[in-house]
Amino acid sequence: MSKALNEKPNAEPLPVATAAGILLHGRYLAPPEDKDGKIWVRTSALINANAEVLYSMWRDVEAAPLWQEQIEKVTSTGKVTSHWVMRTVAKDNDREKTIEWDSEILRDEPGRRIAWRSTGGESDNAGEVVFEPSPSGRGTLVTVLQEFRLGKLASVWQTIVGRNPKQAVIENLRHFKALAETGEIPRTQGQPHGPRGTIAEIKKSIYGEETTTPPGLNRKAS
Amino acid sequence: MKALCWMGSSDVEVHTVDDPTILNPHDAIIKITRTAICGSDLHLYDGFIPTMEQGDILGHEFMGIVEDTGKSVSNLQRGDRVVVPFTIACGNCEFCRKKIWSACDNTNPNAHLMEAAYGYSGSGLFGYSHMMGGYAGGQAQYVRVPFANVGPLKIESDLPDEKVLFLSDIFPTGYMAAENAQIHEGDTVAVWGCGPVGQFAIASAFMLGAARVIAIDRLRERLELARSIGSITVDYSGEDVSVLTALKDLTGGVGPDSCIDAVGLEAHSAQLQGVYDKVKTALMLETDRPSVLRQAIQSVRKGGTVSIPGVYGGLLDKVPFGAAFGKGITMKMGQTNMHNYMKPLLERIEKGQIDPSYIISHRITLDQAPEMYKVWRDKKQNVTKIVIDPWAA
Repeated sequence: MSKALNEKPNAEPLPVATAAGILLHGRYLAPPEDKDGKIWVRTSALINANAEVLYSMWRDVEAAPLWQEQIEKVTSTGKVTSHWVMRTVAKDNDREKTIEWDSEILRDEPGRRIAWRSTGGESDNAGEVVFEPSPSGRGTLVTVLQEFRLGKLASVWQTIVGRNPKQAVIENLRHFKALAETGEIPRTQGQPHGPRGTIAEIKKSIYGEETTTPPGLNRKAS
Repeated sequence: MKALCWMGSSDVEVHTVDDPTILNPHDAIIKITRTAICGSDLHLYDGFIPTMEQGDILGHEFMGIVEDTGKSVSNLQRGDRVVVPFTIACGNCEFCRKKIWSACDNTNPNAHLMEAAYGYSGSGLFGYSHMMGGYAGGQAQYVRVPFANVGPLKIESDLPDEKVLFLSDIFPTGYMAAENAQIHEGDTVAVWGCGPVGQFAIASAFMLGAARVIAIDRLRERLELARSIGSITVDYSGEDVSVLTALKDLTGGVGPDSCIDAVGLEAHSAQLQGVYDKVKTALMLETDRPSVLRQAIQSVRKGGTVSIPGVYGGLLDKVPFGAAFGKGITMKMGQTNMHNYMKPLLERIEKGQIDPSYIISHRITLDQAPEMYKVWRDKKQNVTKIVIDPWAA
């Protein structure tokens, strides 16, 4: 837990065996447990679209800010490498503070699977997304397994990013699904309301309504 | 614009707030011409539904004129007259495709709150807590309608607002309750609660073939309305009236084929169990007062159906599950799959088979709404349904 922010990179590649590790020889496997400063989150969604389309959406890393919370900009820096900039809710002399990291794709199986890890910078993470046809034959089961090894950052992550990192992964997959299925991400930020009291302001962050909903494709909505 | 805001338990106020704007490509802005107060708004007013916040705009039964549309809305144009369903559905997820619209996957921005409470999230609703989406409601002059390409029903005839307004919730809700009751030709159906949803459940039960509908309430004016559309009534407030006995007496000891609980979580009961539920909910040991549900399960015949349009929010105590199992009953429930019913029910209205406006007792301005919430809750002034003209001074 005492790893300083600059002691990167130390994320390891994920195990290569299975579909984000849910099934092994027909047996259900529980998600990995958090320990030694590593936290894991596994989440899945049934999405009404075919695996190739969903794979392409996910693989288009520069489009990630459309559906991933707090991601400000992603720049491709090579065939499998990219640079990520994330907004935080912390302020630095009144300016919005960002954190940045580099990422590389470890496995790239079109229409089936993408695995990645960070290779340096202020976030130490690795992840995998698997696209499988749904047993019903309708839609695709999308499973994400994400690991964060955040050291000091872990304990302050929620404070600076505004959302528990596990919840952020879950919400991002939800946004991805909504965008893939409907072409937009549901939102209430910006709608009218009457005077909020102090408690309502505090509860907003509990509800996760403080985290800016990613834009989806709505930038020219009206 | 002016809007009715929830400011706390038993406290609603009219405030001037910003006009809504288009936020997403499938949004529309509707100028509201008529809106209503729903029985389920009382669950919010009474503080039974968690995740309400000061300043939330209430209202989920409304209609109006399309003012503006997002770039991906092609089915509506400025000037169209529409009724808007209270459940918001995307039209493209697995649940919408199965026509279980109220279980839509993609319309609740706060789905994680509902997941924590219910395991999975249903669709977003207008003006019905942050857990249910946190969408601003329609007891206001304007409203933003998400997924306007899927929900709003165009009214192309010149039927007055009051005849079609209730397509936004309570008429389809009553109809789905009757459909869920699995009524066969000649059946006897018992309906608890003769408020608006109960009224439409009674009317719909007859439409679906019920030979006899037994309506149960304690308010004279509501029982009268129920008799006016052909049901027989049981006033449970009468001395010595046991609903269970009454239903046995009226069915040759068999029990009703179907029971409809159009009351939900704030049932009143004169019996000991009523006191029990009041105490437990006050101590937060129970969230709902399910005395009607208990009666419905007890009363329904062997192998019968209990249909539940009344809203339940949380954890229920002393539900006679042994009786449910012992009799092998079926229970069906849930938020209304609005989009299945609006068009067919509009056709019934157009053909003159029903005029839903018969339940309206009060026509008010937005400024009168805070006072009328109290009247509605306390069932004063023979109130049966309140309709608001948000532009009337």
